[in-house]
Amino acid sequence: MSLKLQTDRHFVVSGIVVLVLLTIVIKLFYIQVIDSRYKFSAQNNVLRYVTQYPVRGLIYDRNGKLLVSNKVVYDLLVVKRLVKSFDTTEFANLLDISTDQVREAFTSLKKQRGYSSRKAMVLLKQLPVDVCNRFREQLFRYPGFELQPRTVRKYERHIAAHMLGYVGEVDENTINNNSYYQLGDYIGISGLEKTYEKELRGKKGVNIYMVDVHNRIKGPYENGKFDSVAVEGKNLETTIDADLQEYGEKLMVNKIGSIVAIDPKTGEVLAMVTSPSYDPSLLVGRERAQNFMQLQTDSLKPIFNRSIMALYPPGSTFKVVNALIGLQEGIVHPYTQYSCAGGYTVGRGVGCHIHRSPINLTEAIEMSCNTYFCHVFRNIIDNPEYGSVEEGLNVWRKHVESFGYGHKLGIDLPNELGGIVPSTSFYDKYFRKGGWSSLTIISLAIGQGELSATPLQMANLVSTIANRGYYLTPHIVKSIGDSLSIDEKFSQMHRTTIDSVWYNYVIEGMDMAVNCEPGGGGTARIAALPNIRICGKTGTSQNPHGKDHSVFFAFAPKDDPKIAISVYVENAGFGATWAAPIASLMIEKYLTDSISRPYLENYILQANLLNRRGKTK
Amino acid sequence: MGKIFGRYLKGDRTIWLVVFFLSAISLLAVYSSTGTLAYKYYGGNTSHFLLKQLGFLIFSLVVVFIAHLISYKVYYPFSTLLMGISIPLLLFTLVFGTQLNEASRWIEIPGLGITLQSSDVAKFSLVLYVAKVLSQYQKEPINLKQLTFKLMLPIALICVLILPANFSTAVLVGITCWLLMFVGRVKLRHLLGFTGVGAMALAILILVALQFNTIKRVHTWKTRIESFASSENDESNYQVEQSKIAIATGGIFGKGPGKSTQRNFLPHPYSDFIYSIIVEEYGWIGAIGIIMLYMILLYRAALIVKKSKRTFPALLAFGLALLIVLQAFVNMAVAVNLIPVTGQPLPLVSMGGTSLFFSSAAFGIILSISRTQSKKELFDGEEPVEDNN
Ligand SMILES: [Zn+2]
Repeated sequence: MSLKLQTDRHFVVSGIVVLVLLTIVIKLFYIQVIDSRYKFSAQNNVLRYVTQYPVRGLIYDRNGKLLVSNKVVYDLLVVKRLVKSFDTTEFANLLDISTDQVREAFTSLKKQRGYSSRKAMVLLKQLPVDVCNRFREQLFRYPGFELQPRTVRKYERHIAAHMLGYVGEVDENTINNNSYYQLGDYIGISGLEKTYEKELRGKKGVNIYMVDVHNRIKGPYENGKFDSVAVEGKNLETTIDADLQEYGEKLMVNKIGSIVAIDPKTGEVLAMVTSPSYDPSLLVGRERAQNFMQLQTDSLKPIFNRSIMALYPPGSTFKVVNALIGLQEGIVHPYTQYSCAGGYTVGRGVGCHIHRSPINLTEAIEMSCNTYFCHVFRNIIDNPEYGSVEEGLNVWRKHVESFGYGHKLGIDLPNELGGIVPSTSFYDKYFRKGGWSSLTIISLAIGQGELSATPLQMANLVSTIANRGYYLTPHIVKSIGDSLSIDEKFSQMHRTTIDSVWYNYVIEGMDMAVNCEPGGGGTARIAALPNIRICGKTGTSQNPHGKDHSVFFAFAPKDDPKIAISVYVENAGFGATWAAPIASLMIEKYLTDSISRPYLENYILQANLLNRRGKTK
Repeated sequence: MGKIFGRYLKGDRTIWLVVFFLSAISLLAVYSSTGTLAYKYYGGNTSHFLLKQLGFLIFSLVVVFIAHLISYKVYYPFSTLLMGISIPLLLFTLVFGTQLNEASRWIEIPGLGITLQSSDVAKFSLVLYVAKVLSQYQKEPINLKQLTFKLMLPIALICVLILPANFSTAVLVGITCWLLMFVGRVKLRHLLGFTGVGAMALAILILVALQFNTIKRVHTWKTRIESFASSENDESNYQVEQSKIAIATGGIFGKGPGKSTQRNFLPHPYSDFIYSIIVEEYGWIGAIGIIMLYMILLYRAALIVKKSKRTFPALLAFGLALLIVLQAFVNMAVAVNLIPVTGQPLPLVSMGGTSLFFSSAAFGIILSISRTQSKKELFDGEEPVEDNN
C-alpha cells in the first residue's frame, strides 16, 4: 500500500474529463449565438398576452337588408398540466363528439406551434353555443379546461356565396408575411371578405398580464398602460340587390353559367350569379374543412366563380363591337348593305341562317347576320389606310380593349381574370409572321376564335352601350362604415374609342332584335316585355365541349337605362332559347319587382341543362 | 489571509479557494431571489430564503473544515463496513420506497433530523471501497478472479441497487469507478471486457423494462378513465425550453445579480437548473468561471496523485474529485440540454440536501489528504505556506 502510482493514467482521465466539460461550453455557444430562437420567447414568459378579438363588420345589400352577420362559437382551451384523469366517453358525449375525436385532439395538441403544457392551448375549435352551455355547467369537473368565445360568420340569406367569399384561419405563410396575424386568427380568404379584409376585421386589442411561475395571472402589467382596446370591424354596404340575386340564383338552378347585372350609370353590380353555387354557411364552423373538400371535388366546380373567372367566347354578342369599330373607322355606314345567301363564302366560309337579304347594319344586328360582319371585319383589318394586316389588327385590338376586354376591369373582388384579345404577336407565333390574313382570323368577326371574355366583361360591354360610349368600373361595395366615399377608381369614367353618335345605330339593332314585329327577323323576341323596352343581343357560341353556349346581353329601359345584364348558360343551345328569357325575367324583376309571365318563369325553373357536355348540338 | 490559511485552514490552498468561490456563487445565486419579480410574488419574504441558504453555507463549510482535520487514514478500515451498511440501506429504500412513493430515495436518520439520500451514502462508500481495494493490488497487478469478486461484483451490485430509483446516479457512480480502476492500473482489456458485459446486461434490462411498460399502458387503455394530463416528457421539455431561454438571454456579461426572470419559470432554480440561472445572471463569465473551478479541482487532485507516495490517499482524492466533477458535468449538461433532464445537483452550489453534506465531506477529505502530504511534496516550487503574506 505504500507504492506510488507509476503510470500517468490520471492525466489521461483528467484530459478526457476536461474535453467532456468543454462540450458544455460548445453547447452554450450554440444556444447563445447560433440558435436565436430562445431569445425572443423570454418576454412571453413573464407576460401573458390575452387577445381581444373585435367583431367582424356586417355586410348589407343596397336596400339595407342584412346579408352577413356574426354568431358566437367557443374554442375549448386546455392547460394540459392541470388536467386530471376523466371519463373519456362522458367527456365526448358532453361535447357531442366521438371518443376517437377526443383522443385525436389530445394527440395533435402537442404538435401545435409553440406548444406548452402550461399554457392554454386550443383543443377543439368552434363548438356551437348549446354544446358549450351544457359543458360549462360541468366545467368544474374538468380542471384545466376553459372556453374562449369567438365569432364566426352567420348568413342571413343563403345567397351570393362566391361574391361574399368566406372566412377561415390564417395560414403559416400569411403569419410569416404579416405581423398583424397570429396563429388561430381568422382572415377573409375569398370574395369581399378578402378584398375588404382590412376594413371588415377591425383591429385586435390586447390585454397584458403579469403571470407567476404557475402561469397564473397576477394582475395587469403596468396598470394596463400598454393594453389596447379592440376596434370593431366596419360594416359594408354593397350594391347588390339581395332579392334580385336570390331570384337569379333560383333561375340558374340546374344550369351552368353566370348572370351579371350592372347599373350602367354607376357601375354598381346589382347581381352576380354563378351557377352551380353553394350555401355560404357550409363554410362556417367545424364542418368547414369537410364541406370544402366536398365542394372542391365536385365535378361541376361549385367553388369556381364563373362570373369573373370563366373565359367564354362572347359569340354573336361581339358583333356589336365590330359594328361600332367599322362605323368609327368609316369602313361601313349605317346604310351600307350586304346580301347574304346562307353564309360568307370566301375561304372556308362562315354559315348563316335564313333571313331576308340584302340588309343594312341595324338589320344585321337585329338578325345577327354572320355574313354581314365577316364583310365588316375583313374591311377593317384589310383597310388599305393601315398599310398591313398586322396594323389592321392593331387598330381593331385597340378599339376592342377600350371596351374593357383583354384586361381586368378592376372589380373589388379577388382573382378576376382579364380575358383574351389576340394580338399580332399571338398570330405570328400561332401561324408564322406573314402567314395569316384577315381570312385566317375571320372567326373574330362573330366573336369566336381566340377571343374570350368573362361574364362580367360582357355585362360591362352592354353597360357601355347603354351609356353610349363609356363605363364606370363595376364594383360591389357602395360604402364602408360611416364614410360614403369609396375608392376613386370606381367613379372614373372610362370612354371607349368610339364616338357616341355611332351607338344609336347599334342600339337600334338591339332594340329591333327584341321588339320587332312578328316575322320581322328579330332573334330575341322571346325577351320582349310589353311595358319595358329592352335592347338585347343574342349569342350562340360554339365551343369544343359539346353543345353551344347560350348567350344574351341586354339593357333596359331603352331611353333611360337602369340595368345592363349578361347571361351565359353553358352548353344550353341557342341564346334565344335560354339566356334571353332569363335576362328578360331578371330585368322585369328588377324594374317592376314582379313577374308578369309565370309560364316563362316555370319554363326556366323546370329546365335542367346539366350534363349536356359532349353531346352534339 | 495567509495566516488563516496557515493556522486554521490546512491543505491545498487552491482547493480551499475553489470551495470559497463555489460557496460564494451559491449564495449569489440565491441572492437573486431578492430580484424584482420574485420580490413581488413571494410577498417580500426573501430574507427567509437568504437565511436558509446562509445556514446551509455555514453548515457545509463546517463539514469541510471538520472533514479536513480528520486524517484520511480513518476511512481505510471503515470502507468495507460502510459498504456493508450501504447495501441494506439501498435494499430498504428500494423495497419500502415504492410504498412511500416520493420519499423512495430518502431515509431519515432518527434523532438528527437529517434526511439522507441512500444513493449518496452508497456512492461515497463505493469510491472509498474501490480506492482501498485498488491500493492493495499495486505491487502485483490484480488478476481477473480478484478483479471480478473484489471489485466488479460489488460495483455492479451497488449500481444495480441504485438504478431503479436514480438512474443518473447509478451511471455516474459506474463511470467514476471505471475511471478510478483505470487510474489504479487495472488492465484496459479487462476493463473493456467487463464494460461489454455490463452494456449487454443493461440492454436486456431496458428491453424488459420496455416490455413491462407496454403491458402497463395496454392495461390503462382498457379502463375507461384516461389520463390526458401532461406526461413527464412534457414537463422536462418545458424545463429544457425555459433553461435555454435563460441561457440565450444571458449574453456575455449576463443580466446582473438578481436580474434573472427565468428563475420564475424553472421548477428547481436553486438545484437542478441553478447553472442556467447563473448563466442568465452572470453570462459567459459565470458560465466558464464555474467550469474552470471544477477543472481546477480536478487538476489539483491529479497533482495530489502525482505527488503522493501512497496509493490509497491518491486514489481516494482522485475518485472523490471525479465524483464531484462528473456530477457537476451532469448538472450543467442538463441545463444546456446535452442530456435528458435528471435531478443531479451542482456540487456545493445547489441548495440544500444530503448532496451538499457529501460534497462538503468529499472536499474536506481531499483537503485532508493534501494536508497530510509533506509540504515540500505538495507545494513543489512554491514558497512555504507560513512565510507567505
Ligand atoms: Zn346572314
